[in-house]
Formats: sequence, C-alpha cells, structure tokens
Amino acid sequence: MTREEVFERLTEVFRNVFDDDTIELSETTTSKDIEDWDSFEHINLIVAVEKEFSIKVPMGKVTTMKDVGEMVDIILQESGAA
Amino acid sequence: MNHYGYRDLRPGMKVSFDAVLDEEKLDMFRKITGDINPLHNDRSYAESKGYRERVVFGMLSASLMSTLAGVYLPGEKSLIQSVESKFIKPVILNDVITVTGEITDMNDSVQRIELKVTMTNDRGEKVLKGKMQVLVNG
Repeated sequence: MTREEVFERLTEVFRNVFDDDTIELSETTTSKDIEDWDSFEHINLIVAVEKEFSIKVPMGKVTTMKDVGEMVDIILQESGAA
Repeated sequence: MNHYGYRDLRPGMKVSFDAVLDEEKLDMFRKITGDINPLHNDRSYAESKGYRERVVFGMLSASLMSTLAGVYLPGEKSLIQSVESKFIKPVILNDVITVTGEITDMNDSVQRIELKVTMTNDRGEKVLKGKMQVLVNG
C-alpha cells in the first residue's frame, strides 16, 4: 500500500465520518481545517480508520497525532506497509 | 455504583437492574422538560386512548440508559458517547422495568465499549431496545 493509496482511502473515511464530500486531505491537514473534527468525532474517526485499514492504532498515539500526515504514518506502520 | 476500568471489561459481560417509573418521576420529568402532552399527564385522556393508566414518557424510560452506564456498566468511569433507542411497547405508570445491558464490542484504542440494551416490563414484554457507545475513562 503506497502513501497515495492511503490518502485516497483515508479521504473517503473522513468524508463518511464528517458527512462532507468536499473534504480534501493533505499532509498538514489538522483538526483546525475541518470544522466538525472535535474530540468526539476524533474517536469515531479512529474507529473508522481501524476498520478501513484493519489495524489497531496504539493507544498512546490516539490523542497525540498532530496532523493527517502523522495519521498516514501510523496507518503505514501498523499495516506493515512502511 | 460499579467502578470497572476498561481492562476489567469483556464482551458478553451483562448487568441488569429494576426501576419503577411512578407518578412522582412522571411529574418531575414533565416539570424538567415541559412536555405536557395529556397521554403522559391525564389519566382519563390515556384511558380514552385505550391505556389503563398514564403512559410513561419514552424519553424517561430511555433515561434509564444513563443509569445503566453511569452506575452499573462500567459505572463511575463512564462517559456516554451515543445512544440509540427504539420504543417497542408503551410503558405504563408504575410498571417495573428491568434494564439489561450487555457488552457487544470493545475498541481498545479509544477505550470504548458498545452495549446492547433491552428493557422489559413486569409482564415479560420487551418495551425498549437500544445501543450505546460508552467511553471508559480509566
């Protein structure tokens, strides 16, 4: 799985969780860029990411990831693609 | 009150408790919410609609899900994230409601459990079924 493929699938996950088909992700996208990305939706996002990529996000990283680029790093690491 | 931490919990764990939804609770709920619908507040009106007594507010029955998570499963460490409920049969004033919650799923990363909820009356009829997502804070 390439970084680009992760971005593509992750964009769909974000669009479903936030019910917004206009979302475009970049390496530096943060919760400040998506209006509904609060602590409540962050939990739903993590659960949705785990389902989509069949991974477990390490507990310590759930709240510390600073942007989408870091989320992609975690997905690649946990799926063994990094 | 229970004090389960996330690591104490397992899928399949189940708890039950009983509650009576009596006149005092109905009246307090009406005062809190301002829902003055006569089905819940006027016995003769309820009788005219075919019920033997006032019908309990569905949201009052559903509020027992707060007790389920906040007191029983997991108890003190609970933070309710979402609730779904379906009102299957009316609850009548003074019915004894048995609330049962069972853990159906757990997510370790975010320490969230999912509960399947059923409520039955003292005639053995299912009156409400629901689902809850509850974070376990500790």
